[in-house]
Amino acid sequence: MTALSTVDRAIQEDIKEFIAREALAVDERRFRDWLDFLAEDITYDVPLRVVREGLAEWELSPTGRIFQDNKQTLEVRVRRLETDFAWAEQPPSRTRHYVTNVLIDDSEKTGEYEVTSYCLIYRSRGDSIEPNFVSVFRKDLVRRVGDSYQIARRWAAIDQAIINAHNLSIFI
Amino acid sequence: MEARLRDIREGIDHGRFPAYVFNDQEIFDLEQEKLFGQAWTFLAHESEIPKPGDYVTRYIGNNNLIVARDEHGEIHANLNMCRHRGNMMCKSEMGNASHFRCSYHGWVYKNSGELIGVPYLAEGYEGKLKRKDWGLVKARIDTYEGLVFGTFNEDASSLEDYLGGFQFYLDLYLKQGPNGSEVHGPPDHWITETDWKIAAENFAGDGYHTPVAHQFGFNLGYFPSSGATHSQGWAASIPGKGHGIGLGHTPGFTPFAGFPDALTAEIKKSLTPDQVEVFSNTRTAVGTVFPNLSFLMQPFSLIPGETGVRFVTMRLYHPIGPGKCEMYSWCLVPKDASDEYKEAAYQAYTLTFAQAGTFEQDDLENWARLTRMAKSSAAKGIEFPYLMGMETERDEDFRGPGHVVKPYVNDSNFRNLWGRWADYLLGEA
Ligand code: FES
Ligand SMILES: [Fe+2]
Repeated sequence: MTALSTVDRAIQEDIKEFIAREALAVDERRFRDWLDFLAEDITYDVPLRVVREGLAEWELSPTGRIFQDNKQTLEVRVRRLETDFAWAEQPPSRTRHYVTNVLIDDSEKTGEYEVTSYCLIYRSRGDSIEPNFVSVFRKDLVRRVGDSYQIARRWAAIDQAIINAHNLSIFI
Repeated sequence: MEARLRDIREGIDHGRFPAYVFNDQEIFDLEQEKLFGQAWTFLAHESEIPKPGDYVTRYIGNNNLIVARDEHGEIHANLNMCRHRGNMMCKSEMGNASHFRCSYHGWVYKNSGELIGVPYLAEGYEGKLKRKDWGLVKARIDTYEGLVFGTFNEDASSLEDYLGGFQFYLDLYLKQGPNGSEVHGPPDHWITETDWKIAAENFAGDGYHTPVAHQFGFNLGYFPSSGATHSQGWAASIPGKGHGIGLGHTPGFTPFAGFPDALTAEIKKSLTPDQVEVFSNTRTAVGTVFPNLSFLMQPFSLIPGETGVRFVTMRLYHPIGPGKCEMYSWCLVPKDASDEYKEAAYQAYTLTFAQAGTFEQDDLENWARLTRMAKSSAAKGIEFPYLMGMETERDEDFRGPGHVVKPYVNDSNFRNLWGRWADYLLGEA
């Protein structure tokens, strides 16, 4: 195995830009725009992390999920945020998704790429001087669609086992 | 403090309760000693530790315990503290182990808590240390329909007596067919600046908050009823025991809506005729086992207007400081249901009541702010009205036990909860 990706550099650059623009849409709370970054058949999963011994067969629960969403349920979440009654986001969280270590590899299918990234989500609420930090490892499947891309799968594992935020009314 | 508690106790009977108790160091310390040191508290669901050697680590008050199933299938709860110098024995939240070996000097215990290995036993202790005297500190445990409760109080009456008839209502969540319920995966848990008591009260049947706090659900067409019709139904509490449940009822509701038909048939067989009568028309059932274990069942649909799928969440509010708790939240599914239904119920749970759930989010936002306000110096002198339904008579036609009143929007469950809480703090429970 080579240490470098076989994916064309120009494509890699495009995907990195795509991922950064997706983060910008979320952080600017343009949630309708954000949904357009996601494929109709997207699976959006955030497994539960459990504190286990080193030899345990899993640390990320095979069944437990914090988010277990598809396009339909993500739309429900966005529609909710569009009402005046999504109290958890009134006033809204200020988020910043810091996306780094983006690696792009070919997938089994042409035109689809395995994209891994580190993402540190900074979230500030109201007048609180204590932000929430959510550090995640993401494994996305990014699909070429026309002259742009869409996310066909997002899987993200939160590094913390016990989340120190009173809720997760944000997107990962 | 004693005088203050007497005041509180008296106020409860007159429908008043002070704000400061939701964020106060003295109250917190007293609760640890007088309440969590005495009452039965929830530890685990048996299905979390199905096989010999399976364990989870949980709390009674601020005491960390290993809850393990031994090689004979029996469940034990032992303080997670080595008897030699007190090191924490087990550092993971779940796993499988026949033994626990202390990483400090190497004492070894069976998963039942018995001490079986002491390095240099003969040479060092010269026969003065008997292994049988130095096993892990045991908690008393008792179970009901898969729920494992524990206490360090040797004098506590039985769990059956403690639940005091609330089992009738718990069966709705637990007897979902001949083999009962099981957990779907490990619990969510997260830290929140919320006093455990606020959550306990809300789940003891706060139908009053639903149309406002969860208004988005009505707004998007998720409930087939308006705010006004949503809050119909009953509030049931077990007098003197602190447990309470709200049974939300919507006119024209299809009996047991949200369960697959085959499952409904099984559930009916597992329940008594009285339970079937009470539960068939229940849309939402939200209850608290005193002090800090709660349940909620309701149908939820991904498509507005449709009945959707019925799910059950069980939650534990573990107090970790004044105004601060660790939330544990499980999804319970009927053991014999199809995988398809279990998955659908779990998805409904994650979308509504897991830590990123749309209902959970709004509750926690309210509770965190309430907790914060309770800390202010002005809050010291403020009391809240617990006056709803003070005069309401028991609904004699209702076929479930306890003090049962209509409508579901009622403070009677809360007065009962706070009365029990104050009795514990006064040492009179
Ligand atoms: S503290 Fe456990 S063996 Fe010494
Ligand atoms: Fe709520």
